[in-house]
Amino acid sequence: MWLVFKKELLELLRDRKTLFFMVALPIVVFPLLFGGVTYFMSQAVSEAQTKTLNYAIIGQDYGLELVDKLAGVESLSLQSLETQPIDDEQKKTLVRDGEVDFIVEIPSNFGSDIINTGQITIKVFLNDAQFNSVQSRLSDVIDELEATYQRVAFASLGLNEDQQTGLLNPMVIEKVNVADERESIGAQVGGLIPYFLFLLCLQGAMLPAADIGAGEKERGTLETLLLSPISRQNIVLGKFLTIAFAGVISALVTVLSMAIWGIVLSQGMAIKVVSDFMASIGLLDFLLVFLMLVPIVAMFAAILLALSIYARSYKEAQGYMTPLVFLVIVPVLVAVIPGIELKGVWAWVPLTNVALAIKELIKGTMDYVQLFAIFGSSVIIAGALIAFCVHWFNKEKVLFR
Amino acid sequence: MIAISGLAKKFRVENPKKLSEQDKKDPRLEGRFFHSVKEVSLRCEKGEVLGLLGPNGAGKTTTLRLLSTALQPDAGTMYIGDTDVIKDPVGARKKIGFLSGSTGLYGRLTGRENIAYFGRLNGMNDKDINQRIESLGEKLDMLSFLDRRSETYSTGMKQKTSIARAVIHSPEVVVLDEPTTGLDIMAAKTVIDFIKDLKSQQVPVIFSTHHLEEVTELCDKVTVIDYGETTFDDTLEGFKALSPDGLHASFMASLKQGVA
Repeated sequence: MWLVFKKELLELLRDRKTLFFMVALPIVVFPLLFGGVTYFMSQAVSEAQTKTLNYAIIGQDYGLELVDKLAGVESLSLQSLETQPIDDEQKKTLVRDGEVDFIVEIPSNFGSDIINTGQITIKVFLNDAQFNSVQSRLSDVIDELEATYQRVAFASLGLNEDQQTGLLNPMVIEKVNVADERESIGAQVGGLIPYFLFLLCLQGAMLPAADIGAGEKERGTLETLLLSPISRQNIVLGKFLTIAFAGVISALVTVLSMAIWGIVLSQGMAIKVVSDFMASIGLLDFLLVFLMLVPIVAMFAAILLALSIYARSYKEAQGYMTPLVFLVIVPVLVAVIPGIELKGVWAWVPLTNVALAIKELIKGTMDYVQLFAIFGSSVIIAGALIAFCVHWFNKEKVLFR
Repeated sequence: MIAISGLAKKFRVENPKKLSEQDKKDPRLEGRFFHSVKEVSLRCEKGEVLGLLGPNGAGKTTTLRLLSTALQPDAGTMYIGDTDVIKDPVGARKKIGFLSGSTGLYGRLTGRENIAYFGRLNGMNDKDINQRIESLGEKLDMLSFLDRRSETYSTGMKQKTSIARAVIHSPEVVVLDEPTTGLDIMAAKTVIDFIKDLKSQQVPVIFSTHHLEEVTELCDKVTVIDYGETTFDDTLEGFKALSPDGLHASFMASLKQGVA
């Protein structure tokens, strides 16, 4: 068994294609892609926010104070229009044609005496499909004016500061969260983590599985292997271990690289939140998360091996394996549905129970007794699948298709 | 010593409608079963080389696969020495060195690693394996390329490596399925010399082939299989005596014998 395992592993390590997918992709390529996208996004955002925008004002005379304030904003530049637009259509055309980036229309009731003016509606013509944060820049100015006018108005009514706050925001809801920080973050990310882990394990195990079963059949080495004086169980177990090992390693590599790159890329606050959160989970729970993966990977590896040995060629094997991804997603998604907890029947549903358990472990609310159900059902299923593989390795119909 | 008698093997036909016209005419098709091998008997004593002849699809490969325990027969007996192949397949595998026609190598391993892997699977220790590889490498003239990845090999190099792999554990009997098919003259000659060498060591060899000149050069005995049945099983002299017009005529005569 170990003989087969050792040889398969050696062959796997020599295979540049598989290695590339297992190691290089998660360590280098994905982070570079994500990092690159994030970088360009932030570049684009900051450029959009600092770019100088041209604007025009209609009804300047109604709100000189606003005009002054806007003129004081560095990244905005006032343009005088050659012809005054008469109706809204013309204003829209001006913006659409790019004469100006936006037009501010100050209404005639604009004024500082807001008790008498009523609500003031300032119309802004802009192309909101463009990404240049017109509104936030305007709000900065207008909010400031608004606050000033409010204060003046309240003062004229003779209200003190407490009354003012009360009037502005008569009722507030204050949340007192009894869940500690770990539980609330855990509830948010805990559902996603098993999803990632499962798919990564499956993905990592797929290529070696296709190679080890169908690939060997295709190249004609399988027959020779079957004729050597080693029992079929040992061949199956050796191959099975290789696939499982590849799955776990590729998942670990990916998770580690995500963690490391995440720490490298994120700065300041984010790091502290993440590291505090990680520290609160504790070694035992981390170990348990990892242990949970073992029966899962065993299940995947056994299914993949069975499919792979049934297939006539590498390509056929990959065809059989692709739908597995969807089959895996469903039970994991079930675990994310609110209200489904690690209790009763759900503790026995394969994949779902592990996904739920990982979530509970991360939240720190694990009911450790349920581990028996989880390991019990997973081990039984994985064992049955391996037995099935051995059975298939004894079938002429499967081996010599 | 290899002794096969009354060997039979049928395959279930999954979809009878898919069979070609020619397949349907084959007398071996009965209902939902295709009797690939119906009645094959042969015998190869120590130090003898047996040539297995027959048209394509006659059941040669199936017979050899049955002998090598890759498939399980429905009827008949097979013995290698005093080991019952059917009752003790694992024991039989240790005694057979088998090379199938469609065999391949692990492309990402070197030739040496390929051979050593099967040595270890046969329970040999590293020291024995290394010695054996050195001596086989010399005999088959393959020392120059043993440490390269086998995916870079030419067909001849691959075949030599496959043969070395098949006999790494010094088997009691050697079974080769079309060992020279597709090889150039040089490589084919190496294979033939190797069979001669096995013969001189008193190792019985069964090989299937389509080259009649190889039969004259190597074989002591000839077995012809046609439509899954042994139609001729005797010495080379007996085979030659079937027709005065040379081996090809003898071969044709041996087939007709069976049909009649």
